[in-house]
Amino acid sequence: MNQYSWPGNRRCIGFLSVHFDAESFDLRMAAGSSLFGRYSYGRYGLRAGLPRLMGMLARRHIHATFFVPASDARRHPALVRGLVDHGHEVAARGVDLEDFARLGDKEFETLKTSRDVLADITGTMPAGFRAPGGNLSGDTLRHLGELGFLYDSSFQDADYPYRIETEQGRSIVEIPTSFALEDAPVYSARHTHERLMRIWRDEFMANYEEGVLVPLTIHLRGDIGSTRAARTAALENLLEEIQGHENIAFMTGKQLAEHTIKLGLTPEPDPLTAHLPTLKATPYRGDLSVKPI
Amino acid sequence: MPQPSIFPEDMRCAVLLGIDFDGASHEVGRGIAPLGQHSWGRYSARCGIPRHLEMLDRHGIHATFFVPGYDAEQHPDIVAEIARSHNEVGAHGYLHEAWELAAEEEEQLLRKTDRILQDIIGEPVRGWRSPSGRKSGGTLRVLKSLGYIYDSSDKDFDLPYRLRYGKGDDDTIIELPNNTYSLDDFPFYKFSYTPPSEVLAQWRDEFDAIYRNDRFFVLSVHPRSGWGSGTPSRTKVLSDLITYMKSHDGVHFFRAKDFAAWCVDHSDRLEEAAFL
Repeated sequence: MNQYSWPGNRRCIGFLSVHFDAESFDLRMAAGSSLFGRYSYGRYGLRAGLPRLMGMLARRHIHATFFVPASDARRHPALVRGLVDHGHEVAARGVDLEDFARLGDKEFETLKTSRDVLADITGTMPAGFRAPGGNLSGDTLRHLGELGFLYDSSFQDADYPYRIETEQGRSIVEIPTSFALEDAPVYSARHTHERLMRIWRDEFMANYEEGVLVPLTIHLRGDIGSTRAARTAALENLLEEIQGHENIAFMTGKQLAEHTIKLGLTPEPDPLTAHLPTLKATPYRGDLSVKPI
Repeated sequence: MPQPSIFPEDMRCAVLLGIDFDGASHEVGRGIAPLGQHSWGRYSARCGIPRHLEMLDRHGIHATFFVPGYDAEQHPDIVAEIARSHNEVGAHGYLHEAWELAAEEEEQLLRKTDRILQDIIGEPVRGWRSPSGRKSGGTLRVLKSLGYIYDSSDKDFDLPYRLRYGKGDDDTIIELPNNTYSLDDFPFYKFSYTPPSEVLAQWRDEFDAIYRNDRFFVLSVHPRSGWGSGTPSRTKVLSDLITYMKSHDGVHFFRAKDFAAWCVDHSDRLEEAAFL
């Protein structure tokens, strides 16, 4: 990985991505006619969260990458166009927060729809995709390549972006993120924003020291997201602190993908091929994961 | 009154750092494709292990890497590099089997992994740590027949001991107990979302107490991303902890096999225990 270098000889690059996940998230648990009470946290993200976040990002001069489910985009096209008007990137996230590991023959169409809905609304083809829940099938990367996507950002396996060969002569950029730099797991466990910021500060300091990517991932929502006033304020403080470090800049996913392609790195082999024979002979034991007693 | 220590006076504390490779085997063994959110194991070979090796080298100390056979097959070069840098390669299941195995299958997998590791490192494997703490009454007999001198899986004591698994004179093996609730990265990064700097404080406290009491410190970490310690911040926690431990008198960092060899040589100082 040593051959990776940041543009303009930057020491470190931040990548702020936002999971739009509005009604699409609540609709997994409640009917469309019941998006009230506890199922209205998605709407909070749209009504209160998004304007606050946009204001904060403008003050910090940061362009973020918004991964937007197509169904949310259809419901709120003006908001999605507003993202583009403010210089943010709009990228794909399926239609309805599907589990891409289990879509089977519907997968290609779903990816295509998610691409086309965003393209119709914004006037530009989305360059990137992030799988809901980080779940992909063995075909997802290849489909993304076929549909003209430049990058995927669903893996958590590297310090820098890299390229994956999806089929002979075709590759896609992977922009890996980090479980430690996502708000939802920590807020979902009902921890304080102070605790989350302490984690992120520790993570940032070490990533900056080593000059690796700092991929921050936040949600718009009022429950597991970062858009309540106190949480946004805490995040703004941290971003300001990050920007106070020498020679660091924020880039969008698309800018990172284009830069990675320009570096001309050799694509890595498909991540599944080597494991297919063993996976075929192995029963599902995902329920073995260790849980608190 | 504290009991007299089993360790000589100049060995104020023995420190064993165990790094469980846990690459894609962890997911593949459970039938999960190592893609997307399940790609944390891919970080081990790519980033985590090189970063840990570099960090250990900077400190001039050596650790024990417990490696599942499957991960060694996928990444023989990095496993060879672990051995080349004088760190120890120990066994850690084939597909990180965190489930019950029939005796015959268990033996076959233990032997298979042993062969894979030996072929790569060109020397005998001397120890084993059970994946996810899963071990049977028959495990130790197989390990002993493979020439292993220690197991580091049980959670039942603060000191090394002679674990008796049969009635024969030689039916014992050195047990180097660990604790995957306190001296392990997984619970803090997976369950409690403890900031790395607090994890460091916690482990320093653990060390302080052990340094004053049993003088035997066994830490288990994982070089993957997600809940592991392969990433920059968490490797820094390890590095800062090592610096802290080194600032104390008489702290000796051992590869598990070297420490187990010391135990064999001073076997009379160790408790013997049997649970079958």
